[in-house]
Amino acid sequence: MKLISISLRNLRIRLVATVLTMMSIIVATALYAAILVMAEQTEARYEGSIGGFQAIAGPNGTSELELVLNTIFNVGEASGRIPLEVCEQLRKSRGSRFRRSQVRYAIPQARGDSISRFNFPVVATIDEMFSKFEWKREPLQFAEGGPFEYSWDELVALATGLAAHENGKRAGDEVIPERPLLQKKWKQAVVGARVARSLKLKIGDVVVPVHGKLGEYDTHEHPEAACAIVGILEPTNSPIDSTIYLPIGIHLLIDGHAGGVFINKLGAGQSPVKAESMPVDPMRIALTAVICDPLDHMGSQILRKQFGSHEEAQVAWPQDVVPKFLRQIGNAADALAVIAWLVLLVAAVSITVAIYNTMNERRREIAIMRSLGARRFQILAIITGEATLLSFFGAVLGLVACHSAEYFMQPTVEDLTGVYLDWTLFKVWELWLVLGVSGIGAIAGLAPAVKGSMTQVADNLAQNY
Amino acid sequence: MIHLRDVQKSYSRGDQTVLACAVDRLDIESGEQVALIGRSGTGKTTVLHILAGILRPDRGEIDVAGARLDKLGEAARDNHRGRNIGMVYQTFNLLQPFTALENVLMGALFGRGAGGDAKERAAALLEKVGLGDRMHHRPGELSVGQVQRVAICRALINDPQLILMDEPLGNQDKATGGQVLDMMLQIASDNDKTVVMVTHDPGSAERMQRTVDLATLRGDTATSSGATSVETSR
Repeated sequence: MKLISISLRNLRIRLVATVLTMMSIIVATALYAAILVMAEQTEARYEGSIGGFQAIAGPNGTSELELVLNTIFNVGEASGRIPLEVCEQLRKSRGSRFRRSQVRYAIPQARGDSISRFNFPVVATIDEMFSKFEWKREPLQFAEGGPFEYSWDELVALATGLAAHENGKRAGDEVIPERPLLQKKWKQAVVGARVARSLKLKIGDVVVPVHGKLGEYDTHEHPEAACAIVGILEPTNSPIDSTIYLPIGIHLLIDGHAGGVFINKLGAGQSPVKAESMPVDPMRIALTAVICDPLDHMGSQILRKQFGSHEEAQVAWPQDVVPKFLRQIGNAADALAVIAWLVLLVAAVSITVAIYNTMNERRREIAIMRSLGARRFQILAIITGEATLLSFFGAVLGLVACHSAEYFMQPTVEDLTGVYLDWTLFKVWELWLVLGVSGIGAIAGLAPAVKGSMTQVADNLAQNY
Repeated sequence: MIHLRDVQKSYSRGDQTVLACAVDRLDIESGEQVALIGRSGTGKTTVLHILAGILRPDRGEIDVAGARLDKLGEAARDNHRGRNIGMVYQTFNLLQPFTALENVLMGALFGRGAGGDAKERAAALLEKVGLGDRMHHRPGELSVGQVQRVAICRALINDPQLILMDEPLGNQDKATGGQVLDMMLQIASDNDKTVVMVTHDPGSAERMQRTVDLATLRGDTATSSGATSVETSR
């Protein structure tokens, strides 16, 4: 028998009071841990996820943060569209006074569809996503299979065909060029590691894109665009893992998209209705973003200048936007942490009160132990031990509650914020948190412990209960 | 084993000082079994607590089991009590949430330590008093006689030199309690333990080798004439 077993037994015989007091510790610890986890994993996620996205061209009229969050972190909806000519401009530096392109790559992306109950976002793009795009200075690696084949030239050809068809319709020609057909060879998909893991997908399986997100108004499946999986990416611990990549040709041709794939360019004083009857340019095909990587510092400066006064597009720089965003999150996390500490303080006071209130009824028990030879410090240790154990178990259960919440809230949190909460991740600070909370509990137990240790032995032994 | 000289203990009750006990001289030799008797209020329990080191007298010399308790601090007296003295109370004072075995082990924990073979020793003691099959029962699940035996085992667990008993038959019928007391005294005798029992029950006192009437040890008689206890030896 040890002093700690007496402390444990004392907690057990006052089980209801113990559980109720422990609840406050559990809540405080879980709250504090959740704040830290969110702040930490958000930071890790956002800082670690900008590795390949050096610059993002997106529509004007939206914030840079919104553009970055949507394009990199799959958060929210694409807030606008930019014409294909922006991408072409980046690729060829067309319209600028520089002869060569200032970027290593400029890859068009179109979003708006998703897959499955997890609402994994679909990104329609071209094959350069797997050949030129660099994730932390390395091309994306395939765990299984390989990339789909859909080149920039195919996209331009398709845009030209669609424009010819659309222009024929708008002009009311008798012979309208045939609308390009969805080709079977395009029906290929590459999925991120988490998509494959969550949906238990393997090479050859078929995924059907959903317009919008399941559960939202006006969502519908695109069975005509069902794609066979040709590649599964290696994990990157970034939102890439939760993304499905399809050839952009599919996006442009599936039902509900075709009529609206062109962005009308309004002239001065031109009404939108009139613009809809004007001829379309193949380079006015709508994209949601273009991801690009400037060649060098000079390239970055040129891009900044080039897009500083662009009438339709802007360029966002994730490495500038994300740290600012994280600072704001950090401030909010600090404020929440203060609240969590206050909750913990209240919990500590509740420990003091709960144990202090038992001291009167325990005078005889303490006197008996003293009569057996227990020294004051041993009584002090037993009672402080109770408070410490109460806090320790509360802290451990608080962490369990935090990790459970991470597990259950993970899909929602990822959907809302783009942060994937890895509930299996245990950090060293969690150990320190348990020790810290236990220490606070021990301090909270000192007042009742001192009172208990001062119990008069002879007086209380004399009582007959 | 026990030598008290000019010991006096009083309490303050408001403005008044009440003399709780006064012993001019008391000597008990090693291995003796002595009953301290006296009417209610003569300070029997106070003397017992002074012998145990629970109370410190206002004055006097107290030599118990080789230690001058009047010169020791509280922690040292606690340590001395835990190691050298076993106590059995009128209400037995077992801790209700703990089993019989744990109650006995608690005696070891605060005495010579509950490590090593303490558990085996506790179990052996409980077996010896016929509680081998009840050692995992809580006091509430035991009869008064069984509780008394657990209390005796707890008093013996540290192999103390001195056993102090405060009205050990106070809460039970004489026949059952008497048998257990006899068993206790036999164990003490076999192991050369000194036993001091406070009682107002003549039947219990008769079981002891010697009886000392505390009423005769009060300071007013003791101060002038030295050893004044009325003793009956058997």
